[in-house]
Amino acid sequence: MDLLIDSVLSAILLLWSLDPEVYFIIYVSLKVSLSSTLIASVLGVPTGFIIAFREFRGKRVVITTLNSLLALPTVVVGLTVYAFISRKGLLGILDLLYTQTAIVIGQVILIFPIVASLTIAAISRIDDRYRKTAMTLGATPFQTAMVIFREARFGIIAAIIASFGRVIAEIGISMMLGGNAKGFTRTMTTAMALEYDKGEFVLGVALGIVLLIISFTMNIFFNYLQGRTRV
Amino acid sequence: MLFQIRNLIKVYGSRTVLDIPELDFEKGTTYALLGPNGSGKTTLLEILSLLMPPTTGAITYKDTAIDFKANNLTALRREIVMVQQNPVLFTTTVYKNLAFGLKIRGIPKLERERIIEGSLDLVGMRSFLHAEAHKLSGGETQRVAIARALTCSPKVMFFDEPTSNVDVENQITIERIMTEINTQKKISVIFTTHNLTQASRLSRQVIFLFEGRKVSSMYENIFNAKIIGEEDGKQICLIQDRVKIFLKTEKEGNVRLAIDPLEIRILTGQDPLVTNNIFKGKVMQLTDEGEQIRAVAEIGIPLNILLPKTVLKESPVHIGDHVRIYCPLEAVQIF
Repeated sequence: MDLLIDSVLSAILLLWSLDPEVYFIIYVSLKVSLSSTLIASVLGVPTGFIIAFREFRGKRVVITTLNSLLALPTVVVGLTVYAFISRKGLLGILDLLYTQTAIVIGQVILIFPIVASLTIAAISRIDDRYRKTAMTLGATPFQTAMVIFREARFGIIAAIIASFGRVIAEIGISMMLGGNAKGFTRTMTTAMALEYDKGEFVLGVALGIVLLIISFTMNIFFNYLQGRTRV
Repeated sequence: MLFQIRNLIKVYGSRTVLDIPELDFEKGTTYALLGPNGSGKTTLLEILSLLMPPTTGAITYKDTAIDFKANNLTALRREIVMVQQNPVLFTTTVYKNLAFGLKIRGIPKLERERIIEGSLDLVGMRSFLHAEAHKLSGGETQRVAIARALTCSPKVMFFDEPTSNVDVENQITIERIMTEINTQKKISVIFTTHNLTQASRLSRQVIFLFEGRKVSSMYENIFNAKIIGEEDGKQICLIQDRVKIFLKTEKEGNVRLAIDPLEIRILTGQDPLVTNNIFKGKVMQLTDEGEQIRAVAEIGIPLNILLPKTVLKESPVHIGDHVRIYCPLEAVQIF
């Protein structure tokens, strides 16, 4: 118990002292997580929307596949991307391994199915009367789609929040593709794992506190956004 | 002619939900589509409002054939607006709901505001201009949905069961609005209902639908029944395990039957020369429907009877009277 209390107090002091190393780790974590969430959202939301809105052959198969990929282990993504971007891999020439870009690529692959699947769920939940209402009021197919999108916005925001939560807390991809290089690809989770291995808890606890604060802040922000956009 | 329907068939899976060989609607008139649940009323409205294509058949709108596969349906749809049963309002303010149709038509903001206020005035909802749409009651939602449809300046308005989910006060208001839409704004109105009184009151013509087909007025007095025997060459049918009626049919077992309300007579003088199908009943309700009086009599089952006013003048009937009711054999039809 003493160890935990001491660690928490020391962690708070460490954060208070504005230690550059700590804040750089936080910066890298936020940068890669926000980048991957943004890219996955730009790709996943329209994909999910099209899958939900359109009828096509094999739709059920696509949805089932995306749902299965929700449980994709980070190490599987890490290994697969590694196989492509390692020096002997197909994309080895790009020299991406152990870079922040590599982490972003892995994280996008990890959360794309989450964004797409939850978007499909959000769109599918929208009552068909909204589509018919938009159409009967004279909307074009695109304008009708936008009405559905607008009505599903709360669900889509939730999908993006869930995806950000997944990447900010993941460790497998950051470790395998980023390499945990100090001052370069070290993220909060990889730093915490390293500190744990070293038997040092202060930095780990400090970063844990930051992770929780980020998580809370993001949720409060999106809740506020939902409240504002409800009217 | 507003709409001309020829050989219209709509099939869902293996079930034919609509089969109308011929049906015409004139411009500037109010029509009621009357029928029980599942009679195809909503399907017909959705086809006419171009929200779904028919399986086969031809429809013309203002003497031009509608091609449901063409890309110009949005342009046609902008002349035809449907107010759904249980309409949904977009998750925003009443103002933005009404602005939707105008925005997509490229109407300037100042003009939009004028039209929106005018439409809300017509439905008596001006004070709700900036209200959150999702906080309105059922009746208020229905009225805002009508105002939203009106902002689009349609040539035709469809109402699907417009008063089925509102209280009496809103029902009266909505019926008034529907009348004003037709008489003042000269918009053709087609609405569905399962309330014959409302249909007769609001429309110039009532079209009866039953199981996807256009039928005569005998659509009323529909009951589940069972053929239980035969006597003197006529079948005996037990309606809802309560009332025995004679009819002529070759069917057996469970059936659905309809009794034409125009053929039923209330006996006041001498009995006709028959002994069958005369029931003792009590008059529960009398309604003025223009040329006719609708009587609802309880004979163990509620029976709708349409009586010419001239007949009632000769032999008046009052609510609460105990009467004898005669259903001729030809008034009873099996489906």
